[in-house]
Amino acid sequence: MRKPVRRTPGWLPAAATIGAIALLVVAFLGIRWATTPPAPAPIDSTHAAAVLSTITSLPPSELEQVGSGSAANRLKPVSGPALLGPGGKPLVFYFGAEYCPYCAAERWPIIIALSRFGAFSGLKTTTSSSSDIYANTPTFTFHRATYSSQYIEFQAVETTDRNQNSLDSPTQAQVALVNRFDASGSIPFVDLGNRYAFSGATYAPDSLQGMSWQQIADALQQADSVQAKAILGSANLIAAAVCKLTSDQPAEVCSGAAIQSIEAKL
Amino acid sequence: MGRHDRLLPGLAALASVAGLGVSVYLTVVHYSAIPLVCTSSGAVNCERVLSSGYAVIAGSALPTSAAGIAWFTVSTALAVGQLSGRGAPLLALLQVAWSALGLVTVLGLVFIEIVMLGTICVWCTAAHALVLATFLLAIAIWQSATESARSMNTRPMRK
Repeated sequence: MRKPVRRTPGWLPAAATIGAIALLVVAFLGIRWATTPPAPAPIDSTHAAAVLSTITSLPPSELEQVGSGSAANRLKPVSGPALLGPGGKPLVFYFGAEYCPYCAAERWPIIIALSRFGAFSGLKTTTSSSSDIYANTPTFTFHRATYSSQYIEFQAVETTDRNQNSLDSPTQAQVALVNRFDASGSIPFVDLGNRYAFSGATYAPDSLQGMSWQQIADALQQADSVQAKAILGSANLIAAAVCKLTSDQPAEVCSGAAIQSIEAKL
Repeated sequence: MGRHDRLLPGLAALASVAGLGVSVYLTVVHYSAIPLVCTSSGAVNCERVLSSGYAVIAGSALPTSAAGIAWFTVSTALAVGQLSGRGAPLLALLQVAWSALGLVTVLGLVFIEIVMLGTICVWCTAAHALVLATFLLAIAIWQSATESARSMNTRPMRK
């Protein structure tokens, strides 16, 4: 007698497909978990101040040596009435958020560049979101930080913290600036006196992955490091644009060959 | 074609049309200033996914959702073709192949969302679920068509 042919139950392919997809999703979550760098250990204010002191007192010769490094020149000339701060000096305006990894990356060159024209106070360490791309990128926040300079003024808006809770609210004028020059809504957005503006980071945040603030500061002292080429190159781009706003003042910053060369290309 | 035979292709057509709707919505949002209806915090953040570099087809300015429009349009046509009854077995096989292609693409996109971006877009997930539903329906339709063909071949002839 012939054995009856066993047929595949109708539900089996569907169940196998759903099971395989569930396994894949679990595997993806595992890969994500395994490849996400842990947040760097928090540092106290003394160490943070030491890091800031290191990165804001890098020798000009090193900045000269790096030039524009590996930075992507995202600065675009813009037109409009000169953007001035409350003190009547050219205004540099930053718009970003603490969760944003690109903002985290860009704050390093902004701090280094603007510290050549003045001084920040109240900068505190933070990291980008732990659930975003380039998770836990170490950085400083502009929230509640102040800046003073005899050449320029600086205003910053950090819309949310690293967990996307609200922080600073932009003024109507600041919203108008963002709407005018950053139609795509990308952050960070930086307006340099309404003469140049850019959105997004001038280098990829992956070069900071897994590093601590101190390790980044150490790397910035080596002109040939990946971090120095990216961050100091970006800082030189920003500094060159600021020099355009200040009519090349101060000379010790703006007369360098690297800054002059970048200015010529802006 | 009986009412029962139309049920599965009808559901496949429904899933494809729903997916088409989601894809059209995401494409319209991409090209206009219409705000996206979605949460933007924590693990679910459509804005973060849709503003990432992966939200456009590599090397072009076309949003990935435009590929979704193309895929769901073809899928709808295949399902409607099976509803009409003409060439149904061939269309069922084509639907399986087309859905498998869609499913592989979806797995790639889910990989990007979970591993690369670490966040999920609800609208994208809805479209992905509809691709999976279409695939499962396509398998069921194909099984049903194979069964029918087999039973026709083995039915004893009346004397």
